[in-house]
Amino acid sequence: MSLYFLSYFCFIVFVIAAALRVYRQLTLPVHLRWELYPVKHEAGDKAAYGGSYMEEPNWWEKVRKKSLGNELKFMIPEIFLLRGLREENPRLWNVSFPFHFGLYLLIGTFILLCIGAWSMFFGVRIAPGKGSIASLLYYGTILAGFLGLTLGAGGSAALLRRRLRDPALRNYSGVTDYFNLIFFLIFFVVSLLAWLFNDPSFDGARAYIYGLLTFGSQPQGDMPARSFLGGLTIVLTSLVVAYIPMTHMSHMFMKYFMYHSVRWEDEPNRKGSRLEAAILQNLGFKPTWAASHVGADGQKTWGKIASGPGK
Amino acid sequence: MNHKVMPSDISKPSRRLGHIEPAELPPLPPPYEDFNDLGISELKAEKTASIETSLDDTVAIAIPKPADKEAEEKYIRAFLSGLKKLFEKENNWGFLQPLLLSMEHCARCQTCSEACPVFEMSGRQEIYRPTFRSEVLRRIYRKYIKPYGKITSKLTGDIDLNWTTIARLAELAYRCTLCRRCASVCPIGVDNALITHEVRKLFSQEMGIAPKEIHEKGSVQQLRVGSTTGMNPMAVKDSMDFIKEEMEEITGYPVEIPWDKEGADILLLHNAGEVLSWPENVGAFAIVFQAAGISWTLSSEEMGYDVVNYGLWYDDVQMARVAVKHAESAKKLRVKKIVIGECGHAHKALTVIADRVLTGNLNIPRESALVLLDEIVRQGKLNLDPSRNNFPVTLHDPCNIVRAMGIVEPQRRILRKIAPQFREMTPHGVDNYCCGGGSGFAIMSGFNFAEWRTLVSSRKKFLQILDAFKDEPQEVPKYVCAPCSNCKGSIRDILTFYHAKERSRIFYGGLVELIVNAMVDMKKPMIHFD
Repeated sequence: MSLYFLSYFCFIVFVIAAALRVYRQLTLPVHLRWELYPVKHEAGDKAAYGGSYMEEPNWWEKVRKKSLGNELKFMIPEIFLLRGLREENPRLWNVSFPFHFGLYLLIGTFILLCIGAWSMFFGVRIAPGKGSIASLLYYGTILAGFLGLTLGAGGSAALLRRRLRDPALRNYSGVTDYFNLIFFLIFFVVSLLAWLFNDPSFDGARAYIYGLLTFGSQPQGDMPARSFLGGLTIVLTSLVVAYIPMTHMSHMFMKYFMYHSVRWEDEPNRKGSRLEAAILQNLGFKPTWAASHVGADGQKTWGKIASGPGK
Repeated sequence: MNHKVMPSDISKPSRRLGHIEPAELPPLPPPYEDFNDLGISELKAEKTASIETSLDDTVAIAIPKPADKEAEEKYIRAFLSGLKKLFEKENNWGFLQPLLLSMEHCARCQTCSEACPVFEMSGRQEIYRPTFRSEVLRRIYRKYIKPYGKITSKLTGDIDLNWTTIARLAELAYRCTLCRRCASVCPIGVDNALITHEVRKLFSQEMGIAPKEIHEKGSVQQLRVGSTTGMNPMAVKDSMDFIKEEMEEITGYPVEIPWDKEGADILLLHNAGEVLSWPENVGAFAIVFQAAGISWTLSSEEMGYDVVNYGLWYDDVQMARVAVKHAESAKKLRVKKIVIGECGHAHKALTVIADRVLTGNLNIPRESALVLLDEIVRQGKLNLDPSRNNFPVTLHDPCNIVRAMGIVEPQRRILRKIAPQFREMTPHGVDNYCCGGGSGFAIMSGFNFAEWRTLVSSRKKFLQILDAFKDEPQEVPKYVCAPCSNCKGSIRDILTFYHAKERSRIFYGGLVELIVNAMVDMKKPMIHFD
């Protein structure tokens, strides 16, 4: 039962830490535009060659065209295949892609385990020969889990090796960078060994997820006893989940803001708009910059300072 | 490749942290091999005795050395105070979110390094790696601003903050052209150029430290006199009268230049540097607008005749003040829109950045001259004969117009129509390389900085230009079209330094000059290769 508490606790930590990060982004003031082209929500071939709505004469009189299709065409390979890294740094992609794709496959494995556990709740046994869906879930989980753990273990080992051997990476790395990779490597290797020696069908993992989803109940039927490696895998998985949002690895979800709040944030300011209201609010802030030419005294607003002489 | 220097070394006193040997610079092809032995001249000891020079081979700011320990402590306190303000919404609402995201999510994968022309062309000097200065700032921030930083820095990367760190970091902020090529290749979206921009801002807005060319002689002079050139309204009007006469003489086409015409459709804002250095560009605009029947005017209002905005590179306050003045000039003349001439940084400052400074009646529509020129050409308002431009032409893409604004095709559509021998550089468009003069470098020339620029930051552009014309015979005149004043300044300097006019017959100029050169109504050609 204590493992369940650990898993719940770590999940709650993940949710709170991720929510705090996201909340912080959502409550920051509107910033000055700093977009970088290509901006992928541009319609037509503009998204491909990097054009903007500002290429149109009198663009402010025209209706803006945005394309979700162009955005998705870019984002899907970017997220799943690390397209940017493959194009710009293929040597690193060779080791980074297995690591990241391994993690994606493990997220997929977790989803399959949840579906399997949910099905068991309704009396469906996840095993070969128990119907096509049960077989699909059974073999799909094994395939995704095996590939995910293998790629993840190989990728994290290769990334660690690269960080240790390449001076361009090593000279910029702190203890935490190595700790992160070693932590992931241990997680992947222990999980892989647990799968190999104790739970090759993922029945034990599915039973644990069943217990998590039902607050401690056990599924009907024979379930493998929890091994030491299995217990260790549960501990490590829980800790990994809690740890990710505390580190720069939170880029797995914060990348959304990097792109949508900065790189592609090209919304023009129109008279009377909500954006203009937000800007006016910002111009009411009172800066305290100390250089004499700024003329800030903590009382004057940005608006007042910007319209002042500055001579 | 020199991997010996690490971010923490920035605080360790030494004669200089980085140094470029001529052999480390990527070689130039024939007939420029004789420049391959050329390095950056040594700084003269008698001229630099009282200033900080311990970063590398050159000096951009020339910060006076502190007189004593107390003065050093004062610098450190001011630096930390400014650093704290960068992360406060009251002081830095303009860039707080982008800065936080870039500070917190870098994986130090170094993908950005390969995209940086300064890093590559310096022979991969570690101190010019885009992540170097970001990592320095990140470590200082974590250690000295974040809670429990002194303890956590042992895990995340340690650094000491002293006078040497501060002085070198200030200089290092002026070894990046802010071209943002690094940001465009970052797999996560981290922007090291933005961090450089913020470092510059900290020094300027908190400590009053900035290169004199862009602050005292730049934005401060512009706000005082009306122009960074030092020209007051009277002087600029006199110069324009001279340009008008010159244009008539050169082209045989009588041209009128309207001043302060209230209610005109367009207020044309030039970089006043054009008036002094490239008057033919200003004249060519007048010819095109007149021939196309455009309702336009210039402004003799203070600041209304010089669109430059150096604040973009180093100081948000100065940027906002200048942008407000530009908008006020347009408001006074009740024009329908402002059109920005061939000046890249002014495009970005007034159109994109100031978009969230100008509100209400100051939010007057702003448009790139390249877009308007494209419209004029497409609508057939000019009688053009492309055979008049039948010489090799290549296009330089100003970073601020292309990568920062997404204005990529209009200038190309024009060139495809008027220049039969137009060819692209490799790479081009949003993947272009900076001219090497970005972020103020084109106008900075104290000590041996111009030499550093020509040998290092502009080197990639020179190689690109040579590559674009590599199949052309030496004796054929060639034209680098650079629709940006600062870019033209850098390209002029590299072509002069390497004797490219004499050795390869490479010339340069703007886009509008090529349009006028193709106009059938011109009795004489505008472009002369001599």
